[in-house]
Amino acid sequence: MSNAEFVTFSGVFAGYGGGDVLKDVAFSVPQGGITTIVGPNGSGKSTLLKTVSGLVRPRLGQIMFKGQNLVGKSAREILNLGVVQVPQNHSLFREMTVEENVALGAFLVKDKKVVASRLANLKEMFPIVAQRANDKAGSLSGGQQRLVEFARCLMLEPDLVVLDEPSMGLDPKTLKIMFQTVKMMNEAGRTVLLVEQNARQALKMSDYGVVLENGHVRLSGSGNDVLNHPEIGALYLGGGAQTKKEGQA
Amino acid sequence: MVHALIDGVLTGSVYALMATGLTLIFGVMEIINVAQGIFVILGAYLSYYLQLHFGIDLFAGLLITIPTMFVVGIVVQRLFLARLKGPEKTAMSILVTYAISLVIEGILNIAFTVNNVQLNTSYTNKSFQVFGVYIPYIYFMGFLLAIVLLSGLYYMLYRTRFGASIRASLADQSAAALVGIDVKKVSTICFGIGIAVTAAGGMVFGATNAFNASTSYDLISRLLTIIVLGGMGSLAGALVAGIAMVTLEDLVGAIWSPVWSTMAFFVVLVVVLSFRPQGLFGQQSARAA
Ligand SMILES: Nc1ncnc2c1ncn2[C@@H]1O[C@H](COP(=O)(O)OP(=O)(O)OP(=O)(O)O)[C@@H](O)[C@H]1O
Ligand SMILES: [Mg+2]
Repeated sequence: MSNAEFVTFSGVFAGYGGGDVLKDVAFSVPQGGITTIVGPNGSGKSTLLKTVSGLVRPRLGQIMFKGQNLVGKSAREILNLGVVQVPQNHSLFREMTVEENVALGAFLVKDKKVVASRLANLKEMFPIVAQRANDKAGSLSGGQQRLVEFARCLMLEPDLVVLDEPSMGLDPKTLKIMFQTVKMMNEAGRTVLLVEQNARQALKMSDYGVVLENGHVRLSGSGNDVLNHPEIGALYLGGGAQTKKEGQA
Repeated sequence: MVHALIDGVLTGSVYALMATGLTLIFGVMEIINVAQGIFVILGAYLSYYLQLHFGIDLFAGLLITIPTMFVVGIVVQRLFLARLKGPEKTAMSILVTYAISLVIEGILNIAFTVNNVQLNTSYTNKSFQVFGVYIPYIYFMGFLLAIVLLSGLYYMLYRTRFGASIRASLADQSAAALVGIDVKKVSTICFGIGIAVTAAGGMVFGATNAFNASTSYDLISRLLTIIVLGGMGSLAGALVAGIAMVTLEDLVGAIWSPVWSTMAFFVVLVVVLSFRPQGLFGQQSARAA
């Protein structure tokens, strides 16, 4: 793993029309590692991730990736640069089959052969995709849907995978599989940018940690630094047992 | 009775086609297009105009009117609807499309007067016999046309890449954007398709009913009932509810009295909605996010 800066946020201000949710956000995501963003509910974590994928357009600032500014680019252009996002809410198309859903992950790939071969690979990596290929995605459990979403986001063979609270609503067993999958993605060479409520667990496997508070970067550093920071530990990591309801963005 | 049943299915399929356009627009854009009724009438007048002035056959004329209405839809969407955003979008869309409807109604009244017209052809009044029932050719041809167009639409939706992008946008716009679907473009084209079907629906409607511009009010109330009943945004719902409702209306008319038939339409609506607020095929939670 190199420590080169892969994504660099500088002076990012963004919101939804009624005041800024992100206020002067600046930090870098090192290449090849796992970076975890933690912070209280409503601090702007999801908004930050949405600026990366192009769902929210910052009012000011830059997000540099591969020498290009992602600010102002469409979601589609950003995907084409190799950045994919799995959002906080379930995002499978419930009425479509599992296989259709995964195949849609490569919507931007026109070559049908390439799509088919990637699909075959992912079926090996994610047995659930093969087992439930022809079932409607809506019939899967929350944890199964998460894994299918992971499979779908890998169809583009992205360089940067952005995951928004993938653990939300998962039982402990699925949670473990989910974290293993994140590690696996990372070991396969993908840089991971993660938002997690299971802050302790996530920071432990992370190379880099960012604490977002009220739309501002409160602290950033190596995963261990953040984990061991006295104030932060008391404030956000209290036992790592924070749970919350599913369903709101 | 048999007659009502056959008539209901034949006419219902045409309503199903028009309602599919409406539900597609709502599903993808969250726009309630109350101008759908006047677009149907506009489609009917276009066919009327082409026949009257250029002697173009009603069915052949569709090769002109369908693309024309498609373009009209795209222009209307780009000019008036693309900018609607935010939580008030759906409510605003009712106002905007109502205004559009009034303008088109006014123009049609000036261009064609308020006198009723009906589209006529050599085959309009001819009929053939099935099960002892006389069926006018035009009803049957309208039915075939609706089936052909609906099949084409369903083929496009379920068998093509573009169709998949429409169904994805229908289900979840931001998820669709996250896989690289250009939701804006899909919205515009869907609006075009939703309006294009009114050219065919309008022609058949105009050939089987006398109409003027204000007939659109009756049409839109039926079409809205159909898509609410089927489940807003549900393609299958529009199809099933379209055929079922018109058939029911005809049956009630035949068994009791035509006075009750329109009533039956709305009674069914109220009853179904009190048990299934999301409509027959609607999904309650799918678009909660
Ligand atoms: N679509 C939206 N429109 C308007 N305001 C929004 C929208 N989404 C989020 N917000 C507001 O932006 C702020 C930050 O929300 P965001 O979802 O980014 O927080 P978060 O850190 O991801 O929280 P959580 O831990 O609950 O997921 C909140 O005050 C929220 O109410
Ligand atoms: Mg969030």
